[in-house]
Parts: sequence; structure tokens; C-alpha cells
Amino acid sequence: MIHIGQYITGNSFTHRLDPRVKTVSTIILSIMIFRATWFDVYFISLFFLMVLGLSRLKAAPILDAIKPLIFFAGLLFLLHLFFTDGTALLELPWLHLKITHEGLLKGAFVTWQFVALVLSGAILTMTTPPSEMISGLEKLLRPFKYIGIPTQDIAVMVSMALRFVPTLLEEFDRIRLAQTARGADVKTGTPAQRVKAAASMTLPLMMSAMRRADELADAMEARGYHSGPRTTLRVLRVSGLDYAALSGLALFIALLAIAGVYVG
Amino acid sequence: MITIKDLLYSYNGQGEPVLKNLHLEIREGEHVALIGPNGCGKTTLLRHLNALFTPDEGSVVVDGMDTSSQENLKEIRSRVGVVFQNPDNQIVGMTVEEDVAFGPENLALPPPDIRRRVDEALVAVGMETFAQRAPHTLSGGEKRLVSIAGVLAMNPRYIAFDEPTAYLDPVGRKRVLEMIQNLHHRGIAIIHITHDMNDLLDADRLLVMDRGVIAIDGTPRDVFSRLEAMRSLGLQLPQVTLLLHRLQESGCALNTNILTIEDACTELLSRMNSLKGEPDVS
Repeated sequence: MIHIGQYITGNSFTHRLDPRVKTVSTIILSIMIFRATWFDVYFISLFFLMVLGLSRLKAAPILDAIKPLIFFAGLLFLLHLFFTDGTALLELPWLHLKITHEGLLKGAFVTWQFVALVLSGAILTMTTPPSEMISGLEKLLRPFKYIGIPTQDIAVMVSMALRFVPTLLEEFDRIRLAQTARGADVKTGTPAQRVKAAASMTLPLMMSAMRRADELADAMEARGYHSGPRTTLRVLRVSGLDYAALSGLALFIALLAIAGVYVG
Repeated sequence: MITIKDLLYSYNGQGEPVLKNLHLEIREGEHVALIGPNGCGKTTLLRHLNALFTPDEGSVVVDGMDTSSQENLKEIRSRVGVVFQNPDNQIVGMTVEEDVAFGPENLALPPPDIRRRVDEALVAVGMETFAQRAPHTLSGGEKRLVSIAGVLAMNPRYIAFDEPTAYLDPVGRKRVLEMIQNLHHRGIAIIHITHDMNDLLDADRLLVMDRGVIAIDGTPRDVFSRLEAMRSLGLQLPQVTLLLHRLQESGCALNTNILTIEDACTELLSRMNSLKGEPDVS
């Protein structure tokens, strides 16, 4: 099963960057996308193509990441296309709708923003293993520890939740088969019957998840998990590569700003 | 040495005690097998060994450290490892390597030390090529080996196993039993709860639990020679031992104090050879 934005093993420039650098860059890029003007669109798009090239990701997984969003992107485009006031390009009087010049531009722009945002997130998750991502986030959120937020525990919790997703999916499959074999049927019947049948599958899953959690807590305690300080196997180290990437991003922002001033 | 004295324990501190004034000593480097009917308190006893449970009355002392005392907790947990029944519910890492690192991370060791321990533990269980795999992609036996590696990375002096061969296919079972034997040879004391009589043939010492106490304590041969006591506890003997007992009951003079198929073959062959030449062999 391929999840959207699932990590794809690789050893590209982007793969080797520190997760913190990647996360911060993605956030900066997202802000730029939000605040972009038409002038920026071309440059940011070019920058994106460059990052994509550096990630050495194949087209197929990237398209897979966008595919489920085509519907929303299309809807977004159409809404802006029809409901923006301005100079009419085409009137559809029998629908009481008109396509305006401004609507066309706005629609294209918003759709671009949407796709660009999703892509920047997808590039981050596709080039960063989840465990690295979590240790990166934990380090980034470390300052919050001083106001009493247990960032380390949260990091352990998140990674464990991710660890158990496939296990619980497997379990759900097993329960579904067992209940189907005993006559539960979620596909036919009145809505009330179907809800009841669905409950016969989700309740056992929840029960078993509770039992798991109980045993897991014991196992963690037995292996010395406690509220005190802990270290991690993975040590994040910012390397020359990371400085290069950050300088690249800074340079890009500066150029964009200067160009904006000259043109605007 | 783990010394258990007058251990009394009941769930939530009330009702019928699960462990009743239990006495037990487990020495360094020993291989102890623990059997007994369901509900006799085996798992509860195991949880006392590393302070997951603490006694209502009496004491559990690990290498001089009382489990009831909070400040000993970290040291006791690294000395006594526990491998639970279901490996799925004790693997916490997103990859094999991260899971094995969990214990040393909790000990707050410096990262290079964690790396060394993880690598050593994975090599010890023969799973080093699986370091980057996600746990759900492993077989039952492999998961069990990973959970053993996770405990091993704590450098324990004692490892307690709760039915480590449950739900395993014959290949997985063999690997796990060999691994346990291997750990024993490294000088780690083994406490091994099992339902399968064939699993405990390697043990130096066999404990039979019954309703919260240690009912029989001896070498496996000793214990299995007490056929009646075992039967009254509803416990089966290993199949070969049972066979020899039956043969003896039906009039064959045999040594029944035998636990393995190999020894049984030797015994039967020598018995048959000694009968050769006698005219009335029926």
C-alpha cells in the first residue's frame, strides 16, 4: 500500500539534508507561496523544479501525491472562475454565470498555490524518513520544553502511533474477515443495519488496541522508559550540505525581493 | 542473585492473593524453566523480577537491590530484562534498529554507545541485515528475535521469557530456543516460562508452580520422575518420558528417567540388545 507522500528511499541531495533544515525551508517556502504575487509565481515554480531535480524523485510518486487533489484543485479553480467580479470574457446567461478575466487569473493563481503547497509538503515527507522527521521536529520544538511541554514524550508517542498504523490495519483486516465470516455485512442493508455492522468491526478493534496499549506500557516500562532524560541513537548534525541549502534558499529570497522592487 | 522472600501479592492489593508466601532464589547464570497450569501466577511472578509489580508483603531483591525502592528502578530494569509473550506489543520503534535502541536511549547513554550496543545486539540475534526494516514486515520468529535484541541491548544479567515460543512455526521456535541457549552460554541467567515440555529440556532447573507457590523445584529429570505429582497438577510429561513410563507399566524393565528422543533411543536399543538371544522375546 502506497500512502500519499510516503518516504521513498534515496540518497539525493535533498535526502541527505538535516530534517530540521528541510522542515524550516518547507515552512519558509509555504509562507512565500501564500504571499506570492503573480511575478513570484514563475520564480517559485522554477525553484520548485530545481528542488525536485535535486531530490531525484521519479514522476510517478509525485503524480500519485497530486492525483487525489485534482478534484479539489479543479473545484477551487471553477469557483474562482465563475464567482469573481470583473470584466466578462464569456457570459453564460442561461446559467446566470459569467467568466471574467479576473476570475481566470485568480483561479489559476489559487490553484497554483494549492498544488505548490501540497507539493512542498510531499517533497519533504518523500525525502525524509518518518523517524528522522520526528527527531527533527522534537529538536525544533525543544524550546517549548522550558514552558513544561514534554517534547520528548510527544516525539516518542508520535513515532509509536506511526509504528502501530500497519499493525492496527492488519488487525482490522483480520477482524473484518472474522466478522464477515460470521455474517456481518456493511455493504448491504438499511443505513441503520450498516452502522450496526460497522460497529461490530470497530469495537473489537478498539478493545484490542486498548489491550495492546496496556501491554505496550508494561514493555516500555520494563525497558526502562521513565520521565527522566533520555538520549537518542540518531544524532542530527548540520553539515556543509545544509549550509549550502540554506544559503541557496536565502539567496533565492533576496533575489526575488530585489527583482520585485525593480519590476514593481 | 535474585532472592524472593515471603512474596505475597494480589491484584489491586485485595482479594485472593495470586502469589502466596513464595520463596525462590535464582542464581547468576542459571537456566530456570517455570511451568504450571494457567492462572497459577507464573506471569505475575515474572513481573516481580524487574519491579513491574512490587510485593504486597515480603521482598524481591535483585543483586542486593530491593525492587520496592524507587531509586533502584533504573538499575534493576537494566539488569533484569523481560521478553513478553506478544512481540507485536513490545516493539516500539519504527525500524528494527530504532526499537533495539529504545532501552539504551532510556538509560540516557551517549549516542556512540547506543550505536555499539544496537549493533552488537542485532549481531547476537543474527538480525543485523534487518536493521532498517519496519517491524510489521517481519515474521513472527523474526519479531521475537528483535524483541530479544531489544532486551539484550540493555546488557542484562537476567532475562525472563514469557512463553517465547508461543504462536511460532517450528523453524521460528527452533531459532528462538537456540538463541535462549546461546544467551545462557554467555553467562546470562534465563528464566523461561513455557507450556511446552519439550522447550525446557535445556534447563538446569525446573520449577513447577501451583496456585501461587513453587510446588516442585529440582532438575528436569528429578521433576519428571515424580509422575504422580505432575499428573495431579494436570501437567504433561515430555512424550518420550511418557512412552517409557507406559512401557515400564506394561512390564518392561526400563530406565524412565529420560527426557530426550536420543536418550530414549539409546535406552530402548540397549534394552533390545540385552534381550537378543533369549528365546522368549515377546
